[in-house]
Amino acid sequence: MPLKFTLNGKEVCLEDVPGEATLLEVLRRKLGMLGAKEGCGVGECGACTVLLDGKAVDSCLTAAWQAAGREVTTVEGLAQGETLHPMQQGFADTGAVQCGFCTPGMILTALDLVEQAPKPSDQEIRRAMSGNLCRCTGYHDVVRAVRRGAKYMRGEGEEQ
Amino acid sequence: MSLGQSLIRVGTLGKVRGETRYGFDMPQEGDLQLACVRAPKAPAKILSIDPSPAMSIPGVIRVFTAEDVPGEHRLGIIAVTQDQEFIAPGWVRQPYQCVALVAAETLEAARAGARAVKVEYDFQPGVYSFEEAMAPDAPLVQPEHPGGNLLRENKIKQGDADSALKDAAVVVEATYTTERVEHCALEVEGGRAWWEDGRVMLKACTQNPHYDQADIAKFLGVPTERVRVIQAETGGGFGGKLDLSIQPFLALAAWHLKRPVCLRYSREESIMATGKRHGLWMHFISGADEQGNILALKARINGDTGAFASYGLAVNQRAAVHATGPYRTANVDVIARMAYTNNTFNGAMRGFGCPQVALAHEAQIDAIAAELGLDPFDLRKQNALRQGDHTCTGQLLRAGVGLSECLERIEPIYRKWLSELKHTDDYREGVGVGAMFYGIGNTGASNPSTAQVEWMPDGRVTLYTGAADIGQGSDTVLLQIAASRLGLPVEQIDLCRGDTDKTTNAGATSASRQTYISGNAVMGAAANLEMQLLQGARDMLKERHLEVELRDGLLKTSDGREIEPAEVVRHLAKSGVRAMGEGRFDPNFTALDPETGQGRPYAAYAYAAQCARVRVDTASAMVKVTDVAAAHDVGRAVNPRAVQGQICGGVVMGLGMALMEEYVQGRTDNLQSYHIPTAADAPNITPLIVEEPEPTGPYGAKGVGEPALIPTAPAIAGAVGQALGRPMRHLPITLERVMEALTAAEGETNCED
Repeated sequence: MPLKFTLNGKEVCLEDVPGEATLLEVLRRKLGMLGAKEGCGVGECGACTVLLDGKAVDSCLTAAWQAAGREVTTVEGLAQGETLHPMQQGFADTGAVQCGFCTPGMILTALDLVEQAPKPSDQEIRRAMSGNLCRCTGYHDVVRAVRRGAKYMRGEGEEQ
Repeated sequence: MSLGQSLIRVGTLGKVRGETRYGFDMPQEGDLQLACVRAPKAPAKILSIDPSPAMSIPGVIRVFTAEDVPGEHRLGIIAVTQDQEFIAPGWVRQPYQCVALVAAETLEAARAGARAVKVEYDFQPGVYSFEEAMAPDAPLVQPEHPGGNLLRENKIKQGDADSALKDAAVVVEATYTTERVEHCALEVEGGRAWWEDGRVMLKACTQNPHYDQADIAKFLGVPTERVRVIQAETGGGFGGKLDLSIQPFLALAAWHLKRPVCLRYSREESIMATGKRHGLWMHFISGADEQGNILALKARINGDTGAFASYGLAVNQRAAVHATGPYRTANVDVIARMAYTNNTFNGAMRGFGCPQVALAHEAQIDAIAAELGLDPFDLRKQNALRQGDHTCTGQLLRAGVGLSECLERIEPIYRKWLSELKHTDDYREGVGVGAMFYGIGNTGASNPSTAQVEWMPDGRVTLYTGAADIGQGSDTVLLQIAASRLGLPVEQIDLCRGDTDKTTNAGATSASRQTYISGNAVMGAAANLEMQLLQGARDMLKERHLEVELRDGLLKTSDGREIEPAEVVRHLAKSGVRAMGEGRFDPNFTALDPETGQGRPYAAYAYAAQCARVRVDTASAMVKVTDVAAAHDVGRAVNPRAVQGQICGGVVMGLGMALMEEYVQGRTDNLQSYHIPTAADAPNITPLIVEEPEPTGPYGAKGVGEPALIPTAPAIAGAVGQALGRPMRHLPITLERVMEALTAAEGETNCED
């Protein structure tokens, strides 16, 4: 079946997408968006997180057709050329990136959170990020990263 | 000087932009896809394999069986126990062992092909626990192994433990158990192989590219140089990517088909088919005098290594060597035994047996304190290994012993938490302590690293290392060490890492060894390069006795001239000489005596102490670890933020081991049934860095990767034990175990009424 949606601000139009294809498969295999990772395939790890109309979803559990006519944002769509998105900058500056496999999903989940809570508490951050597993950081720096990214997004600059 | 600065890890930019390509991300248009046919259980004789139903599926182009393996079937990291068959040759030893490999034009066809291959098995009786394996007449898992099902027995004998226990004022005795744990690196195993100029090229996740190269060559029956391994960016390892996994399959298919091939495990396949942390059974008898000075330890440790030895020898030996914990113990009698079974193999995981024995040695200290009515924290300080002490292998600790300082750093936090403890009708709180020592590098064995540093004609510098960065940060740390040694900004140095064509062997990213061992190799390479530049400058200036030094990136002569090193490099290039420094480092060790375990197994030890505060909900039996303070003696923090990152990551992995992680074959084969800690489970962590310089370390540095995890589970177990009023001796501390303890505690309260 044909499928049309907006990917990172650009219209994409695909012919012949199988009805059972997941959004993750379409993003990775047809559109080369390899920033979305598959860590489990069953919606437990959050490595495949993308934004669908601004809401964080597990793209491995989202049927590709559910994206029809909607806006999909992947990690590749965040930076403006050389300039990182403030949330990406937050993750980089706080050392919250170790192996980095979970990082794209983490950043997108954090964006959904900050959309709803521009100044999230640590507890809100922990709750929001609890669907994104990380085996490297112990989440300590992830919490700092989201706090820092949210701060950058509010235009408040470096955390003291 | 970049040393001691919290530089952002190399590669961070690509990772936050989503541009980093992991082994997992390698597939390209037109690549063949592979899928494994796996045996449902073991042991079994393979009666027949019929590939024809698979071959009739459109897109399937080949089914490989053991007959297609041109070289050695049996591979493995430890030379004396190479016993893992990647495609079972007629006999299946462990569940989910691969029996055939399907190559197809698409992933769907490969997977359909794998399901269609018809295999007839004759299932045989097997052994599935240490006890079954050691029973007389037990079926042999590896009939080729000379010791029957006993993989190895390691003994540590020092003094006279039996007499010391007789004379002790207090003797405590208990049995402890831990379960199998899955590494759960977020990236599952993945990679790509192709054929180029008569060689197999392989790019995949790994913790040890040069080992991979050697064993793949053996598998293919070709000289090592006909295989090139390039470490793909690796999404975590924790020991799980030390053994070969996908690599032999990729190499075999590329070798036969001369086409690019890809393979990526699903999470289920990754969990079912790769190694685990060994669960250990530990019986500990400890004795102390009236003042609480530890006099003796008698310990028996049994483990099940599964069907393949993997790192079983290393785990067994390390468990024995570290059984006393970081405490002076003059009389020691430890026997650790490891058996083959028909379970999925167990191998290396962050700590190699030390996290398991730490549960026992820490609970024993708490038990001694309780018996004597002494403070358990004071007892640790009193018995803590100090400079001038000997370990249980008789090794004199000459310097770099930072345990007391680690304990001092967490003590105020521990005391404060203790004073704030609350018990209400709804919850009970507890505080626990864990301490550890950990030998850096392989146990009583040579484990060298090599590196090169080259000054380029354009003025930039290249560091060549075979050390696999798997996210822990060795790229950054090694660059910082090279930059500091040469007096350059890190930005001036390019990194060439983990490519067997371009780098030399640095050994495994394991045993917390890369900062210490590869760091020393890099120091050596930089020093050697400096010497070449100085010599080159004299040669260029035709002044053989000129005094020259390399300072702030410039060659400065005693008569005040300043020369760009690149100028000297270009001068050397005219005679075809590259300005490339070579470095090699192998820690100073002695092999352990086979009967007594005495010797000097490591050149350096890391030390740590952690405390944990927990709250146990009395209605639900839920345990919440609210806080952990973790003090680690790392010798010198080359990159403090990276050290803190390792500590926090280790603490939460330790929390998983303490409270929730248990691999049950056939039942916990994905993340909805095998749970690892989430951000909501993670405690507030206070990472504290202690720097007691290690004289043999690069700038005094040791390692921290594994130490970060080792004290956590014992600290949590101690805290839960305190909350519930009874020791928790079995991990993980599940709801059922907490509920049982709560019920027992309630029963006691009622009796007292």
